[in-house]
Amino acid sequence: MNKDRYQVLVSGKEIAIKQEPDKTLLENLEDNKVEIHSHCREGFCGTCRTRLISGEVDYIIDPLAYIDDDEILPCCCKAVSDITIEIN
Amino acid sequence: MKYTTFSPVNNDALTEPMFFGNPVNVARYDQQKHAIFEKLIEKQISFFWRPEEVDVSKDRLDFQQLSDSEKHIFISNLKYQTLLDSVQGRSPNIAFLPIISIPELETWVETWSFFETIHSRSYTHILRNLFTDPSEIFSDIVDNQHIKKRAEDISQYYDDLIFYTQIWQTHGLGEHTIQGETYNITMRELKKKLYLCMNSVNALEAIRFYVSFACTFAFAERELMEGNSKIIRLIARDENLHLTSTQHILNLWAKGKDDPEMAEIAEECKEEAAQIFMSAVEQEKQWAHYLFERGSMIGLNQDILCQYVEFIANHRMSAIGLGQPFEVTSNPLPWMNNYLHSDNVQVAPQESEISSYLVGQIDSEVNADDFGDFDL
Repeated sequence: MNKDRYQVLVSGKEIAIKQEPDKTLLENLEDNKVEIHSHCREGFCGTCRTRLISGEVDYIIDPLAYIDDDEILPCCCKAVSDITIEIN
Repeated sequence: MKYTTFSPVNNDALTEPMFFGNPVNVARYDQQKHAIFEKLIEKQISFFWRPEEVDVSKDRLDFQQLSDSEKHIFISNLKYQTLLDSVQGRSPNIAFLPIISIPELETWVETWSFFETIHSRSYTHILRNLFTDPSEIFSDIVDNQHIKKRAEDISQYYDDLIFYTQIWQTHGLGEHTIQGETYNITMRELKKKLYLCMNSVNALEAIRFYVSFACTFAFAERELMEGNSKIIRLIARDENLHLTSTQHILNLWAKGKDDPEMAEIAEECKEEAAQIFMSAVEQEKQWAHYLFERGSMIGLNQDILCQYVEFIANHRMSAIGLGQPFEVTSNPLPWMNNYLHSDNVQVAPQESEISSYLVGQIDSEVNADDFGDFDL
């Protein structure tokens, strides 16, 4: 399972990301021109809150902002499997 | 119930609700009922800054160059922010501390309020630089109709909660007549006041600052009033953290992870909570209208600012389960994000002109060419 290329299905559009160790999911999405709103980019403001429909992510920084059980903060996590997400 | 500064009850703080349980006695942080507040305290302390660290002297020259309508926009926003932080520097302490029951939340509220006082001090720092005597600006905050109206809306929920808490603490539950008025004090009513107050504070932290932030950063985009912008970036970073705390409190209640009665109240008062948010949005739009009534500024106008308020409100409202009532889907002011990005916030006296200055950074990459002009 531990590979570095993942499929990300975001709002019906499928993109391939190369998960470099120090790149966050947010940066990957931005590189792929996905419009996503962000402020602090270190997990405390919650602006980039995104729904994780399937798959798994790992947190690089402990998120402080409020997120629901099915939500993730792309600014401080990275994908560890193929994922399906929905941006608010 | 009479307030006591050190409750003799040997209670277990881990079983207390956030509010209206036993008063906090021992300030201990080795264990927490809601660990998030301890983490927020740590984060907020790590953000510590002082307004004097930011050099605002160039702003005085910039200010002279602004048109009259731009001066009106700049000064009015500072007045409004001064009002907001005057309220926030004291009210969470006065309203929440007497009814909080867990030490980590108590200390979070104190830390939060303390940072609001740093914000207030920074407005004085900015204004003292622009005007030899800023008294006129400060006194207009109490006289200006547009600001006064906002002050009433912001303070009413706090005042209401504080007053009911005072009656409860001095007279206990039941019906009491005070100066000819009868009040029925029940725990349910107190908790309802608390819930509405928390929603009003959440709306304040969520959107009320953003019209002013947008104007400040629009000036900075034109390389004007940059000292001010640096201070506002630090303030924006703090406000984002404060917002996180009120979102946590509201969600802990709504999801039944704290006081079960608060979960019922959250359900019962959902409409009212949404209304508080919607009227804050409306007031911010009116504020944008007032700012631009004497003319606009480059890069911003009333329409775009109103759309931005709606955009931000959508995000902030969905975070507390109130849906996304507005139609704006993409960010009308995308450059704002660059100013709200926490990594771009760096302040030290020696780097007032370079916003990307990093302490202790060394370029350790050395190429053979670098020694090209070396002779031995």
